[in-house]
Amino acid sequence: MAFVLHVIKYSPIKMTLSIFALWLCSVCCDTVGQIAFKYAAVAPKNQKNWHYWLALLSSYWLWIGISAYAIGFLFWIAFLTLLPLSQAILLGSANIISVMIVGSLVFKEQLTPYRVIGVSLITIGVILVGIG
Amino acid sequence: MKRFYIIGFACLLLFDTLGQTGFKFSALNAKPLDYSLEWVVRILSNKWIYLTTLSYIGAFFTWMVLLKKAPVGPAFAASRLQIVSVMLVSIFIFNEPLTLTRALGAVVIISGIIFLAIAEKKLSMKQ
Repeated sequence: MAFVLHVIKYSPIKMTLSIFALWLCSVCCDTVGQIAFKYAAVAPKNQKNWHYWLALLSSYWLWIGISAYAIGFLFWIAFLTLLPLSQAILLGSANIISVMIVGSLVFKEQLTPYRVIGVSLITIGVILVGIG
Repeated sequence: MKRFYIIGFACLLLFDTLGQTGFKFSALNAKPLDYSLEWVVRILSNKWIYLTTLSYIGAFFTWMVLLKKAPVGPAFAASRLQIVSVMLVSIFIFNEPLTLTRALGAVVIISGIIFLAIAEKKLSMKQ
């Protein structure tokens, strides 16, 4: 957040807006992709072996997820052309937090203290390795 | 349940790491980089790109099996363990430098995963 405010303060507004828009689109695509994958994984009920995989491959959730990832990939590449990799990873790791929040809203996944601490630590760790 | 998660995430980690390593080997073997048809042919005529493709397919199926039971939020965070394994591969195979920040990051990621494991244990004991 401090970094985003820093960018807004010191760079031309147009550049800032496009970085922000690309970041938002990229994080949204990742989140939609993972939520769709979860829907796809739990949708085929009472099916075993190859029946399960057949039902999975014909589930529209799976293809929504794959499309979201394909589109998100393009946003991410565009985002990377505007920012250095370390700063991009810093912002991009927001998808870990957003998947957790949306997952808890959509699938009633409990946000226990241990889970929140664990996910936060992983996010910080990813940022540290990215800054490297 | 515990065994399901350990085996599942171990497979995911293996496929993800193989995939990234394969990409790097493909890129190295296809040098020099010139946006031409020859470059694409050099990539496609090397075994590494096929290992990478197989790894990605393997990672996809493993992820779908994991998501049948695992909560997507914590699982997505836990899958970032691949950053640590890819970092180790980059140090030992590609001789990239290990900085203090990156080592600290790896430790923080692993401690986050330990917290997630404790969270799952507590939740399964409640039920």
